[in-house]
Amino acid sequence: MLQIKLTSIMVEDQAKALAFYTDVLGFATQMDFPVGAYRWITVAAPGRDDLQLALEPNENPSAKAFQQAMFEQKIPIASFESTDLDADYARLRERGVAFTHPPTAAGAVKIAIFSDTVGNLIQLHQKL
Amino acid sequence: MLIDPRTFRRLVQARAMLDGDLTVGSIARQVGMSPTQLIRRFTAVFGATPHQYRTEARLACARDALAAGARVTDVCFDIGFSSLGSFSALFTRRVGAPPSVYRRSVQVPCDLSPLVPGCLGMLARLPRNFREASAR
Repeated sequence: MLQIKLTSIMVEDQAKALAFYTDVLGFATQMDFPVGAYRWITVAAPGRDDLQLALEPNENPSAKAFQQAMFEQKIPIASFESTDLDADYARLRERGVAFTHPPTAAGAVKIAIFSDTVGNLIQLHQKL
Repeated sequence: MLIDPRTFRRLVQARAMLDGDLTVGSIARQVGMSPTQLIRRFTAVFGATPHQYRTEARLACARDALAAGARVTDVCFDIGFSSLGSFSALFTRRVGAPPSVYRRSVQVPCDLSPLVPGCLGMLARLPRNFREASAR
C-alpha cells in the first residue's frame, strides 16, 4: 500500500520559513540538517508524524518563477486543515499574519488564505 | 491584518518596483499608500520591510553572480552598490564569508540522493557556473 508521508513547498528563505512555520503557525520541526549550501527541513503538526512538510529553497530560477506566478495570481500553494478555523484565524491575526481571505464558506468547507511571508499563499480549510 | 484584493495587487506591484532604484517613499506614492502603510503591509505579507527585501534580493543576485564566476567588483556595481567596502561588509555579515572567499568556495551539491524530492533535486542538476551552462 502506498502512503503519502511527505510533501513540500518552496520558500524564499529557509531559516525565516522555519521560524514562521514553527513559532507563528505552531508546527514542530521534524528534520533539520545541512544539504550542501541548503538545509533539509521538515515540519509536522505537533505530536503527529503522519505527514511532513518540507521547506525547500526556491533558488532554482524555475521554482522561483512558478512560486511568484502562483502568488501573484493569488493561488494558494497548499491547504492545511483546521478544526476551528475562526479560532485559528483570530490567533494568527493576533500574531501579525496577513490574510488575503477571511474565513468564508465554500461549499462543504470554510476557507481562509494567508501569506506565509516566504513567498507563498497558504489556505486553511475546515470541513463543515 | 486583512489585505483586500486591491491592496494585495498594489503590494505585488511595489515588490516588482524594488528591482529598480526608486526610493521606498516614491514607490509608496506610486501605489497610493503612505510610506508607513506600505512598510507595515509589505512586512506583514513578505516578511521584511521593502528596504530589507531589496537588500536580500540584491545579495541573492550577488551570490548567483559570484557562483557563476563574476568578479567581485563587477557584481558590487551591477547590483547597485556604490562602495566596494560597504558591499563586502554587508555580504560578509549576511552570508558569513567575504565575497571573494564565497566566490572561490561556492559549490552546488551534485550528488544528492534521488530520494530528495523537488527543488533540492532540481538544484543538483543546475550547472555550477555559466561556463558549465554554455557547454551543455
